Amino acid sequence: MSAVRQYELIYITPPEITDEALAEVHTQVQAVVDRFGGTIEKTENWGRRRLAYEIGRQREGTYVLEVINGPGALTTELDRRLRVLDAVIRHLIVRVDEDLAVAERSRVRRKEDLAKRRVKRGLPPEPTESERHRREDDDDDADGPELGFRAERGDR
Amino acid sequence: MSDERDSRGGRGAGKAADKEKGGRRGGFFRRRRVCKFCVEKIDYINYKDVKLIAPFIPERGKIQPRRISGVCATHQRALQTAIKRARQIALVPYTTD
Repeated sequence: MSAVRQYELIYITPPEITDEALAEVHTQVQAVVDRFGGTIEKTENWGRRRLAYEIGRQREGTYVLEVINGPGALTTELDRRLRVLDAVIRHLIVRVDEDLAVAERSRVRRKEDLAKRRVKRGLPPEPTESERHRREDDDDDADGPELGFRAERGDR
Repeated sequence: MSDERDSRGGRGAGKAADKEKGGRRGGFFRRRRVCKFCVEKIDYINYKDVKLIAPFIPERGKIQPRRISGVCATHQRALQTAIKRARQIALVPYTTD
């Protein structure tokens, strides 16, 4: 009853953190993951980023993303540990395997549907390059700033 | 026939209907929107992708209702969770004033 699931852990540390302290947090995470028989699939350091709001008088933070495979019990422990660490000012654990599976399924289904429809019309299942270009603009409305209304501010 | 309104008549009629719908008061014209995520075939709205979700967070920091943005119900739900997650890790504000 301990199925392997995939989780994403993101934590934020103060921007002035030393590399050693950052490595220390990582080892702690690794230790917990190991104890529950999980694996860390990938670790990504996003570096220094501006926070959208202040967290404990910090306006910036260093983000680290860890993709973890392991049983669900691991999240509780990880959560508890990270809450205690001073070097981590915010963290979030999200289960992602289900969402990704759903996304994958609908992607595959869409592709199959398209192929089926095309075969019905006596076309090859995959759209050719020239068709693809035409398809992009076959509606009759102007391709203005379609959804770029307001709030067109990327990253702040 | 991507849109049911198109069946009413050719190009001209479709445009007129658009105007009628969004062109009320003060000449504030907005055309009928379509779900961005359906059009671009985005299946998973990633909460880490600030560029993707930022257009749906107006100045105030609230989540834009789908009556404004035209996002379909399925994707609005996914978008909602994505925004809420992004808020928790300070990628996106809860409020701004």
